Amino acid sequence: MDELTREFLIESQEGLDRMERCLTDLETRPQDAALLGEIFRSVHTIKGTTGFLGFKRLERLAHRGENLLGLLRDGKAVASRGVITGLLHLLDGLRAILKFIEADGTEGTGDDQALIEEIEALQAPAGGAEKVSVALASESGPAASAALKPAPASAKPSSASPVPAAQSSAPQPEPAAEQLAAAAPDAGRARTQPGASTAESTLRVDVALLNRMMNLVGELVLTRNQVLQATAADPKMTLLSRRLDMVTADLRESVMKARMQPVSNIFSKMPRMVRDLSQSLGRRVHLEMEGQETELDKSLLEAIKDPLTHALRNALDHGIESPEDRKAVGKNPEGLLKLRAVQEGSHVVIEVSDDGAGIAVEKVREKAIERGLITSDRAALLGERELLQLIFLPGFSTAAKVTNVSGRGVGMDVVRTNVEKIGGKVELDSRAGKGTTVRMRIPLTLAIIPALIVSSLNQSFALPQGALSELVHIPPEKAGTAIEWIESAPLYRLRGRLLPLVFLSRLLDPTRTCHLAPDRDNFIAVLDADGRRFGLVVDGLADPEEIVVKPLSAVLKDIGLYSGATMLGSADLALILDPGSIALKANIIMNSEEEAAAQVEETDDAAKAEFLLVEVTGRRAAVPLADVLRIEQLPLSRIEYVGYRPVLNFGGHLLPVEDTGGILAQAAEAQGVDASPEGAQIIVVVCRDGNRHVGIVVSHVLDVAAGSDLFEAGTGVQTSGVTMLKNRVTGVVDLGSVAPLAQGEPAHEEWTQPAEVMG
Amino acid sequence: MTAQAMAVRNVKSEAQVELCSVRVGKTMFGVPIGHILEIVGSARPQPVPLAPEYVGGLVHYRGDVLTTVSLRQLLGLPPCEGKQDILVLESEGGCFGLLVDSVGEVLTVSPADFEPNPSILDRRHSALLAGAYKLKDHLLVMLDPERLDPMRLAQEMAER
Repeated sequence: MDELTREFLIESQEGLDRMERCLTDLETRPQDAALLGEIFRSVHTIKGTTGFLGFKRLERLAHRGENLLGLLRDGKAVASRGVITGLLHLLDGLRAILKFIEADGTEGTGDDQALIEEIEALQAPAGGAEKVSVALASESGPAASAALKPAPASAKPSSASPVPAAQSSAPQPEPAAEQLAAAAPDAGRARTQPGASTAESTLRVDVALLNRMMNLVGELVLTRNQVLQATAADPKMTLLSRRLDMVTADLRESVMKARMQPVSNIFSKMPRMVRDLSQSLGRRVHLEMEGQETELDKSLLEAIKDPLTHALRNALDHGIESPEDRKAVGKNPEGLLKLRAVQEGSHVVIEVSDDGAGIAVEKVREKAIERGLITSDRAALLGERELLQLIFLPGFSTAAKVTNVSGRGVGMDVVRTNVEKIGGKVELDSRAGKGTTVRMRIPLTLAIIPALIVSSLNQSFALPQGALSELVHIPPEKAGTAIEWIESAPLYRLRGRLLPLVFLSRLLDPTRTCHLAPDRDNFIAVLDADGRRFGLVVDGLADPEEIVVKPLSAVLKDIGLYSGATMLGSADLALILDPGSIALKANIIMNSEEEAAAQVEETDDAAKAEFLLVEVTGRRAAVPLADVLRIEQLPLSRIEYVGYRPVLNFGGHLLPVEDTGGILAQAAEAQGVDASPEGAQIIVVVCRDGNRHVGIVVSHVLDVAAGSDLFEAGTGVQTSGVTMLKNRVTGVVDLGSVAPLAQGEPAHEEWTQPAEVMG
Repeated sequence: MTAQAMAVRNVKSEAQVELCSVRVGKTMFGVPIGHILEIVGSARPQPVPLAPEYVGGLVHYRGDVLTTVSLRQLLGLPPCEGKQDILVLESEGGCFGLLVDSVGEVLTVSPADFEPNPSILDRRHSALLAGAYKLKDHLLVMLDPERLDPMRLAQEMAER
């Protein structure tokens, strides 16, 4: 295929996409001249170029369409529902031919007669005078901009013919069109197309090249990680490596940005689908779209297309009621369907909400019990939100019978699986009679993911953070008693609930036995993979890293434990563990009542901010979980002092320690002068505050819980610094208030002295 | 075996053949240089737990992760303790690494010195090896990269 044809295909497809968008808009604003002009231009451009390239079939069809559109544009015909349907058929016809051209360079052999007759029938009511203007418009074909000119109300030959050539070659929109364009944002964007400004500042780039760039940036990130680790000890290199760090981060961001596309690319397909579907279902629906400019990685955009379509179909099919039903309950007979995209941090949230019947929670409860997904005792305990989550269980939605009754749920598990496959999450909100909202949280990118580095069998493995819900540390002295057994099944009691355990070392080497090493620390990574919750026992933990996912060869993928490999900052290769496959391999299922309930709780909590609940000398306090790096239990003697300030020394990195409760002094007192060899133990929560790390001394770590916001009485202003945790008002530790360690003070001599309070 | 016969014909049709010599255990093997993308010296591949035995582990190669095949393991020799050399080979299924004890020099041999696999060679070895060249003081056993491709090995293992 020559360059010219390829260019033509891309342009025509874009033009037709635009046309599709405008046509669905036209239905609500049939008189909008800017929209009509836009549609006319799309078809006209195709016709003009096909004549030039010699695609006769395409030209014939486009020509008929142009005739009809000319009438509409000049106000000689009205864009009725029938006309719009006809134009949509024309659009499909043009698309089909373009597909042929793309495939083998020919126009295919279909018969367009029926379509042409349909289009011609639509322009039949037009009289003789209009015919003249149609002829004029089509004759001016190749001089594209002459057709751009929206003709004034009357289409006398004199108004069109005297347009001087010089004027018509310059793409000047009429003032009237300009005004209208300002009102319709879509048209405004399209109008810039013939202009030079955007053409000069943008260019088309091959996706393969972008992928290559992304790979190279991934390499750079790896190299940076290595450089950072290698130069950490060398003060001369710190500045340089910090600069490298910054440049790499910027570069990564730019390349990622280059791969971003606005969600309007898939949103724009939706009005057509909603229109067709609502017509066939006999619904009246108004579609509202918001945040179309929100951007997402191209590959992810592709991946959410299906789940999004599914969610929309669901909303139309089961959410929005028929106009009669709506009238009967006093709603506007026209249903409202909202599609909204917004970026929240490193995620994009895409929301599909309708004002339909909502999900009948009681029916969900009944069906879940009937299908054996949950016992009636348990079901009685579940709240509305928790019951809604049951819809995501595969067993719930496979049977059509359930769907009819519950009003929702065709393939909601499919939606969830697809979204989770790309590291996203689906949330569901529904109020009976008021409507339903499906919320999808999609990560911005896939190629670079945060991961926790764990070790087993003296080898490093990467565990994607997305599946990790918490880490449990088991000190050596508890190794013998921490695990409980039911015959050969190891279990850990996590806040009163039994968590099935999988030993990574045993999984990787079947000759090993399942036991915790009594001579060192053991860790359990609590994972939640596709609703399967289990604890993975690993030998050791290293710092989290941002890893670049590299594909594995088919032979190794077939093992079914690894999703890829990556290069660590230490220059070692690490295999990326696939929590879902591990759960499958270890026979961990999610359909059991216990798991379903646990999972319900998880998703429920995820909606709110999570806090680590701690006790500081009898007082309860909360630390935002997102800021907690790790929890250390260590002997009091590890605390050293800079002047009066307690600090911790972690391999050359100083950590300022905040002790608001005076726990250190108490511990030292309790320990007395002649301490036992191990000394008193203290617990330090290591947190992230911006770029620095700080330690908070606490008496006990109580739990992890979701907090809810509190509002000041009277003013209704959201209070800061406190949150509602486990039904009690709890103060949130302000990490920012921990004073920074003084910079550059020659304090090395002072640091070496051990804790003075001990003497 | 027809593939073998073809290989023989291919080799004979050329006047001189250039082979990279590699050593595993006590045997000298030859790999046609046309198939070699690169030689990576003294590497220590990352083992992959639960992988098939013939997989020697993973190595980092030009931004990608390369699966290696251990020739020692394939020949039934005990694993090598120290570092090994890697030939990066290209086959139909993509790239892979071949782990050998050491890489020697490039030899030019004459097709006249070629002999196919002897009939007394057991099945396991005759599936891997592609005949031998008679050098002055020893034999240079031919390796066919296509037959060492991990995907192909996996298929053969499954059929066995």
